[in-house]
Amino acid sequence: MGFHTIKNAARAALFLGLGLAASAAHAAKLIADAKYNLPEGVTPMSREVYDVHMMVFWVCVAIGIVVFGVMIAALFMFRKSKGAQSAHFHHSTLLEILWTVIPVIILVAMAVPAAKTLVRMADTTEPDLSIKITGYQWKWQYDYIQNGFSFFSMLSADSDKAAQVDSGIDPASVKNYLRDVDHPLVVPTGEKIRLLITSDDVIHSWWMPDFGGKTDANPGFVNSMWIKVEEPGVYRGACAELCGRWHGFMPIVVVAKKPDDYLAWVKAMKASGGKYVSPYDGSLEDTGSPVVFSDVNYNNVMGTPAGAVVPTGSTVSPAMTAAMSKGASAATSTAISAVPAAAAPAAWDMKTVMEKGQQVYAQNCSSCHQPDGKGNPEMGAPAIARSPIANGPLAAHIQRVLKGKGIMPAWGNILSDADIAAVITFERNSFGNHKGDLVKPADVKAAR
Amino acid sequence: MSAVTIDHDSHGEHHPSGLMRWITTTNHKDIGTLYLLFSLMMFFIGGSFAMVIRAELFKPGMQLVDPATFNELTTMHALIMIFGAIMPAFVGLANWMIPIMIGAPDMALPRMNNWSFWILPFAFTLLLGTMFLPGGGPAGGWTMYPPLMLQTGTAFPFVIFAVHMMGISSVMGAINIVVTILNLRAPKMTLLKMPLFVWTWFITAYLLIAVMPVLAGAVTMLLTDKYFGTSFFNAAGGGDPVMYQHIFWFFGHPEVYIMILPAFGIVSEIIPTFARKALFGYESMVYAVASIAFLSFIVWAHHMFTVGMPLAGELFFMFTTMLIAVPTGVKVFNWTATLWKGSITFETPMLFALAFLFLFTIGGFSGVMCAMVPADFQYQDSYFVVAHFHYVLVTGAAFAIMGAVYYWLPKWTGHMYNETLGKWHFWMSTIWVNVLFFPQHFLGLAGMPRRIPDYPVQFTDLNMLSSIGGFLFGASQLIFLYVVISTIRGGAKAPAKVWEGAKGLEWHLPSPPPYHSFTTPPDKEVWEHPYRD
Repeated sequence: MGFHTIKNAARAALFLGLGLAASAAHAAKLIADAKYNLPEGVTPMSREVYDVHMMVFWVCVAIGIVVFGVMIAALFMFRKSKGAQSAHFHHSTLLEILWTVIPVIILVAMAVPAAKTLVRMADTTEPDLSIKITGYQWKWQYDYIQNGFSFFSMLSADSDKAAQVDSGIDPASVKNYLRDVDHPLVVPTGEKIRLLITSDDVIHSWWMPDFGGKTDANPGFVNSMWIKVEEPGVYRGACAELCGRWHGFMPIVVVAKKPDDYLAWVKAMKASGGKYVSPYDGSLEDTGSPVVFSDVNYNNVMGTPAGAVVPTGSTVSPAMTAAMSKGASAATSTAISAVPAAAAPAAWDMKTVMEKGQQVYAQNCSSCHQPDGKGNPEMGAPAIARSPIANGPLAAHIQRVLKGKGIMPAWGNILSDADIAAVITFERNSFGNHKGDLVKPADVKAAR
Repeated sequence: MSAVTIDHDSHGEHHPSGLMRWITTTNHKDIGTLYLLFSLMMFFIGGSFAMVIRAELFKPGMQLVDPATFNELTTMHALIMIFGAIMPAFVGLANWMIPIMIGAPDMALPRMNNWSFWILPFAFTLLLGTMFLPGGGPAGGWTMYPPLMLQTGTAFPFVIFAVHMMGISSVMGAINIVVTILNLRAPKMTLLKMPLFVWTWFITAYLLIAVMPVLAGAVTMLLTDKYFGTSFFNAAGGGDPVMYQHIFWFFGHPEVYIMILPAFGIVSEIIPTFARKALFGYESMVYAVASIAFLSFIVWAHHMFTVGMPLAGELFFMFTTMLIAVPTGVKVFNWTATLWKGSITFETPMLFALAFLFLFTIGGFSGVMCAMVPADFQYQDSYFVVAHFHYVLVTGAAFAIMGAVYYWLPKWTGHMYNETLGKWHFWMSTIWVNVLFFPQHFLGLAGMPRRIPDYPVQFTDLNMLSSIGGFLFGASQLIFLYVVISTIRGGAKAPAKVWEGAKGLEWHLPSPPPYHSFTTPPDKEVWEHPYRD
């Protein structure tokens, strides 16, 4: 036996090794091209990041083929069952020096381009535009510092509804499930934008794969990253740092528009009197298939029907509509609950206001005070059911919601008068509370 | 107990029996057994949490648990697996094996040994008990980052106290190991003649002593921030939440190596035995472990590349982190060279060691990828990282522990385990663990963040695949449980030298070894250098 067996085994191992290498390379190619790889993205930095990723990936594949090849060959060639006798060597200075020095060389070769990319990514100086991003449990605030307006961006209502435990709604039936927000961030293409990222409560992380990465939002400190979006489109990401109960439910959507369209949107926002103007041009329904990562070139396929229906709650004046690019009507993509600046329902009667209040409560209050109003006292969220505030003087209740207390945020900075009036009305007439108050937006405005 | 300590002439004859034997024991073999059984129990508790996590993630939408409960499960899964399963398993192996590998009669500090074990059941009862408190258990991740961690309810001080207890237990165990190795080696067994398992534990013990107090400090600062009005981590009071992360990871990165260095030691014992060939590059193996231990203190911030560090900091931590690949590579190459021109057989311990060799290397590759800061801006906090550290900790640390159990179980019990079932356990585990974790690389690259209870529908297929792998990997561990229990209860009689190619002192003792072994030090002729022919 001996020699021939080992020779055959060696031949088998060689074939296996080659086959394995070929199939590994083939699989790696498939993976690299498929949707289960990093996106190349749409910014200069995201493309560099992608290149660094692919470089180190291929280096690992190559080393893997060599190292695993040798291991597999050893396992086939030196089996006791095939009569292999063990040798007696136990070190080799030359080999040991080689396999210390060669990895060092490979690592240096990878470190140089990675460091160069890193230096470019860190240069956030001389931006054309700065936008401040603030993380909250569980939404984002986008502050256009130079333009003097800001708005909140949170999970769209249809995703939120479907995401409740045993909602009975099939997530696949919800368009862009967990990847859509009520108010996307809007940015111009082709300009260097500095994102100033911070948080108002716990640590979040603003992750947009198509822009090449993420930056943590730390309370009390401001981080920065820069982007230059090359393609108009709709880009989707998510909060990446565990931030509490609804961490998985605070997506990020960025709409990138050509500079002219962007300026028109900014103009409309400035003129809207605090109402969010949708950046979508009516054709959103046709884009955003849930299986693609980015809905690129959305603007290019725009074919806006004239006079698109504007949902209630996001009334946009004809003047603003005219100011929008290409004369398209604005249409918000999602339901109107918890819209910071949503207009009050036309009829301010108990039934309407209670319904609205319930929506506002579900999106903003229930995660801490619980859907049944019993609260979570251990985390500092007292019960609303039969609470002294909800059953006491109205003025104190309004003040508490406006100013917040402890871990409760000052909702006065976040929600509109109408929303606050509605949610207070809801709280005073639910969970076993029967005050009967119907709070009006004017009451809230007066209390500010 | 008094009988054991006073009556030196009748070793082991008069120790208490029944439950009191285990509560009062100061015998390293008993305490080793206790650690290992405790670890096995925690492995199944932590594993059951993972099953619920994978079930919730089987498809999009929330089906089983509330998001807050989900966060509790991920947090508890990590705490239990790290502090309850992996670390005590290694300490158990150290207790059983180090004295009989260096020819010592027992651990140097037997009573402290008893305490370091018996703290653990209380610590983990406390920790697990918080899940039943109003407001639930800790849900801010095992890293316990403030300010989120400060939102924990009633559970908060109990979790902190439990972590303190685990830390005290680990430090006591580590001191015991250092003192034992430095003082109780057989005559003429110099440090560079010790078995590698002893070497890796020697270095690990120093890491533990260095960093567990750092963790204790970090969580104590959390405690005072919450209850005593300090502002270590509160920007409004002049503190910085990121400082917590620096302190935590100064503990956390050496902790990662605390969970892998003893695994290196185990694999370095098993591979030469079944390759029937001396370990290649014994000295360089020792120096590689020492280099890794040193580097572990200067790489901590690679866990926080996205936190907003200055460029110089990012570059420093990128370069030092990449450097770790060098000594780690040396180890992998040395093991491969040990296999080369050996005479290999494939018993279950060897299979686990070989799986370690392949799969830990895959974890090493993704580790090098994560070290590249620009790319890490994408990988950080995604499922890519989840895949990476599970390859290192499950197919790395846990597989090495399982290999060690199969390797030494016949020595401990005097019975051979069922080889067929052992092989079934191995192949089921190895196949399904890859189905479980390999797809998670791609989920992360495609944009799925970690620690989320629900996900967009485009991640469905790979999550389903991963969950199926998870359930079957979990079920495979029941084979392990059965094999261990049935081997303890009976089986074919194991000889003193269980494995043909085995070397080292433990194989000179009968299987099972007497309750008190090496009451007189062994001669040099007996122990020989375990890695020289």
